[in-house]
Amino acid sequence: MTDRFTLELIKGALNAARREMEALIARTAMSPFIREKKDFFTAFLNPKGELVVSTSLTLAGNLVDAILETYPAETMRYGDLYWYNDCYGTGGAVSHLPDMVFVSPVFHEGRLIAFAEAWGHLWDIGGSVPGSISPHATTVFQEGIMIPPVRVVHEGVENEEVVRIFTRNSRFPEMQKGDLKAIMAACRLGETRLTEAVARYGVDAFEQACETMITQSEQALCAQIERRIPDGDYSFRDRIDSDAVTDRSYFVDVTLRKQAGNVEADFSASDQQATGPINFLMDDSVPKFMLGLYLTMDEPGIGMNGGFERAIDRIVTRPGSVVSPRFPAPLGLRSHTMIRVTTAMFGALAQAMGGDASAASCVYVLYYLRGKNADGSEPLCIEGLAVGFGARVFADGIDAVYYVAQENYPIEFAEMEFGVEIERFGIHRDSGGAGRWRGGCGIVRDVRVLSDEAVLGIRLDNCLQPAFGVKGGLCGAPGRITLNPGTAEERELATMSDGNALKKGDLVRIVTSGGGGWGSPFDRPAEDVLGDVLDGFVGIERARADYGVVIEGETVNEVATQALRAAAPRPTEMFHRHTPYHAADDRHD
Amino acid sequence: MSSQRFALALDVGGTFTDVILAERAGGHLWVTKSSSVPSDPAAGFFGGVEKIMRESGIAAEDVSIILHGSTVATNAILEGKGARTGLLTTDGFRHVLEIGRAEIPREANLFGWVKPKRPVLPRNIFEVPERVRLDGSVVTPLDEAALARVADEIEARGLDALAIVFLHSYANPDHERRAGAFLRGRLAGVEIALSVDVLPLFREYERATATALNASVQPVVGRYIGQLSKGLKDRGLAAPLFIMKSNGGTCPPEEAARGGVHLALSGPAAGAAGAAHLGRLAGFEDILTIDMGGTSADVALIRGGEPATTTTGSIGVHPLALSIVDIHTIGAGGGSKAIVTDLGAIRVGPESAGADPGPAAYGKGGTEPTVTDANLLLGKIPPHLLDGEIALDPEAAERAIKTQVADPLGIDTLAAARGIIDLVDNAMVAALKVMSVERGLDPRDFTLSAFGGAGPVHGARLMRLLTAPRLLVPRYPGILCAIGLLATDLRYGFAITRLQRAGRYDLGGMEMAFADLAAQADTRLAADGIAPEDRRIRRAVDLRYEKQGVELTIPFVGDAVTEAAIGALVENFHAEHERLYTFADPAAPVEIVNLRVEATGLTERIQLPEIAKASGKPAPDAQRLASLDAGPPVSTPIYRRNSLLADHVIHGPAIVDQLDATTVILAGQSALTDRYGNLVIREGTP
Repeated sequence: MTDRFTLELIKGALNAARREMEALIARTAMSPFIREKKDFFTAFLNPKGELVVSTSLTLAGNLVDAILETYPAETMRYGDLYWYNDCYGTGGAVSHLPDMVFVSPVFHEGRLIAFAEAWGHLWDIGGSVPGSISPHATTVFQEGIMIPPVRVVHEGVENEEVVRIFTRNSRFPEMQKGDLKAIMAACRLGETRLTEAVARYGVDAFEQACETMITQSEQALCAQIERRIPDGDYSFRDRIDSDAVTDRSYFVDVTLRKQAGNVEADFSASDQQATGPINFLMDDSVPKFMLGLYLTMDEPGIGMNGGFERAIDRIVTRPGSVVSPRFPAPLGLRSHTMIRVTTAMFGALAQAMGGDASAASCVYVLYYLRGKNADGSEPLCIEGLAVGFGARVFADGIDAVYYVAQENYPIEFAEMEFGVEIERFGIHRDSGGAGRWRGGCGIVRDVRVLSDEAVLGIRLDNCLQPAFGVKGGLCGAPGRITLNPGTAEERELATMSDGNALKKGDLVRIVTSGGGGWGSPFDRPAEDVLGDVLDGFVGIERARADYGVVIEGETVNEVATQALRAAAPRPTEMFHRHTPYHAADDRHD
Repeated sequence: MSSQRFALALDVGGTFTDVILAERAGGHLWVTKSSSVPSDPAAGFFGGVEKIMRESGIAAEDVSIILHGSTVATNAILEGKGARTGLLTTDGFRHVLEIGRAEIPREANLFGWVKPKRPVLPRNIFEVPERVRLDGSVVTPLDEAALARVADEIEARGLDALAIVFLHSYANPDHERRAGAFLRGRLAGVEIALSVDVLPLFREYERATATALNASVQPVVGRYIGQLSKGLKDRGLAAPLFIMKSNGGTCPPEEAARGGVHLALSGPAAGAAGAAHLGRLAGFEDILTIDMGGTSADVALIRGGEPATTTTGSIGVHPLALSIVDIHTIGAGGGSKAIVTDLGAIRVGPESAGADPGPAAYGKGGTEPTVTDANLLLGKIPPHLLDGEIALDPEAAERAIKTQVADPLGIDTLAAARGIIDLVDNAMVAALKVMSVERGLDPRDFTLSAFGGAGPVHGARLMRLLTAPRLLVPRYPGILCAIGLLATDLRYGFAITRLQRAGRYDLGGMEMAFADLAAQADTRLAADGIAPEDRRIRRAVDLRYEKQGVELTIPFVGDAVTEAAIGALVENFHAEHERLYTFADPAAPVEIVNLRVEATGLTERIQLPEIAKASGKPAPDAQRLASLDAGPPVSTPIYRRNSLLADHVIHGPAIVDQLDATTVILAGQSALTDRYGNLVIREGTP
């Protein structure tokens, strides 16, 4: 039995080693997606393929099973490195093609004791458009090359042919090579660091530490579930605006079921798979990680790992559905559905825990402005835009946020590099759903086209189906995209669309959606509402209408406010989207 | 003038003020500590001044220079206690500060993370019609009528400070300058900071943050500097005062009052400067430093004898894009608490018992076990502080560790104490690796230097864990920041964004911009009374590959911006890119983004005194039961730091005690005392 302190030292060593892998990727990768957007993930897994430590991104955790199917553990050798990006071929171990997964087995005296893993989002892997992801894709074959699990390095010798075939399929082969090199080196570094930890602490202590980390996460989550979720079935459905190809809205449906210590999440009532690329080939670990991260957020030292997977007994999906699409449905925009899996889980949790769950967050926005000038130059602008996140039980939703670890471009950088001028960048006032805790606000960005002509593609969600509010909180306000606002040529553009032809001088106003509110807005302290008005998050009219707070000049009219609030309706429905509703009323097409 | 032989250095920290009075030519050194007064920092400063003048008996008129490291700006920023600050910006961009870079930090739980508060509330951010393009051309002229309305509003709101940040002002400062002049005329008593003065570089959020922070601390720092100037004069100390900045150099008080944000990391920068100075004296130019105090440990990197700097640092939750000494801080100090969770996990820090109540052993009401308690239990530190001035309570330390760590884990108390030390050591090793390995550097190429009150207790194990070749423990590890003050020069950074596209470099334009920056630098140093021969101007350029979001700062060699000089610059950029990031792309277009001038005004160096040479072996002063590594406590020789002479060698296991620090030497290691009294510890024999 290894002492507790040694276990902690090994935990520390694993966490430090993983951070070091990430620093290496960020430092040595070549493409902007990895260098600046920091779109990568690292992890260590045990020989069974369970995560031990990892980046806290709720994407697949089941990363090595698919490799083991082709390369059984007993055939793996020291110095091997395995690689894949094949979503369908690996059963969703990776959920869209640009994410390249590398796995290095770690041995001690010839015995497999762990895996070091890293993936990164590559800039261009072929497919129908530069950047590989197109809102218009209707099959995964349009989204780039597929690499099934391959042994790209065998006992230290790289299979250069595989790399050559792959890079030949990219529009930016040199960049691909640089990124591959960075991710592969990170795996190698992880393997080295684990080997060092084993040499220092001994293999028994190492394996025990890995198991302890997993069981601590499992116990932490089980305790939270036992304490906070009563037995029962809790169902919820959330909706995606469209799949960017058809006009149809899609839904994710979940039933969270707890019975006699058994917990499962059943997605089988989710919508059919989509024609466009919002399909999410969901690994079972995804909803488990979401539940785990949410329920253990106040437990210091508990990390996202296989313990969360052990704590939840079963995930059910229906083949042919939007969370379990059939080959070769397109997958490029799976984030839209992935985030709806989170919000649907929260909707179920809200019912299970008397409203003790976050309101809905919006899906981050991306737009692609492909310019063309008479001199032949073709400036390309790809920008991620912030949205509003859902209000929490303990705090307002995050205003103007993209997602984890991905920074936006400064205006002064965008104007230097993208052939555009930004004429306005601010908070989308009144977009955060009203509540005791306010939903996060989206943003407004006015983009002036400077190139002679340009084509605009955009993925802006939560417009037709705004982010829902919880326990009296109102839904967030929808975003929109307007061409040449305030002029005779003003018109609205479709929010999930591509191929919008623009010309020099056009102004595109992109307004992103806000997150849902939590709790009754009439319970929000009037001074907080006043603060929101003064700070430009809430307009004076909505303060009165939604919050019952009457503001005159820069002060609250207490008497009028009390009168309004006393007479305010208190709907009993748990959710709000346009109007208050019960989850059960929304679970039909 | 010849009678003015002494330099006075004061490093004011959160708890203690470290004071040194040094004979400039390497003669005597008086060292003392006094209590800081957080509620009245100037009182703490003068407490230290009076104490050292009293103890030394030196006359005020014999002091020829006063150097000062201050946490006044640091605390105002970290505690959000700056002035009531407003911000004026371009119409349409009121929420730039609020939105920031729109990311959730990588290590955060995305469901629980709350966006940190900005230095200015949006309600105090005003917009005015004006717009400059990135090439400096004016799209919308500055609306002066709107400015007048803003002035009324600022007055009505009773703001004390204002930052002015217009888009692309680095390309054309005219609107900012005119707005500043107009509002200064209208708003007496409101401190105004312009972004073109604080940080004239592109990236509006970072520039706005730096400018807003500067405005918010300007009144606080200005008031403090005023108190210092007056108080020094009242005490007959007419010597010039210089304040330590985050860039590792100093500036005169009027500059500090104007540019308070440059003082944000005054303390840690002084520590790095001190370590660099001692390293140069001891013959080590590449050093990893760890400054471990009561609540945190600061790690810095010294290369080629100079502290490494960064332009992507931070202060608290705020990004700090100024050129500052690169410091990585973790919550590991003597007061860090050991906590066993319900699930049986153990952690040490970042929670800290601080100085009050402090560790259980302080007997001031602290009951939770800390790193200091563990060190005491293991015999690593003596049962008292400050040479016996303050007694420690070993029983309280043992009780805390036993009841809160050992018993819950079912282990014996010494094992628990050892475990606590293991955890905190490992946390510090991880921090040292962040500054080395994660930057592509091998710790085996660096001397480790451990200082601060707690650093030398842990240094020997850190060196071993890091496989660093040697450990340098300064003669006065508890006051190295004050030593650092004695070793600094005046230093100013001037920079401007001047975007140059690949293949279209404007050599004449760059020459002019450089000349302008150099003229600013020269004017500044002249105003400080630095003779022309003591002025050093270094040029550097920030370059990047086209469309890349980060730049590298590369020294510009030569006096003129010629084709050849630029060619060499770009070559060096590729080489540095290769060194830092493992690859270069010689075929890719390279953009020049920022031009920089660093101006140094050489001040007279204070030589540190040398100690007498040994003629025999050092004799231990006492023995103490101590468990320095694994294994039970054994009788361990204790040496007095004061009695060590140059060339003395001590073989571990051994302990060296001094007034405010204790150095541990492990079995298998040896410590050589150098001629300045520093200990150089190595594995094996020297």
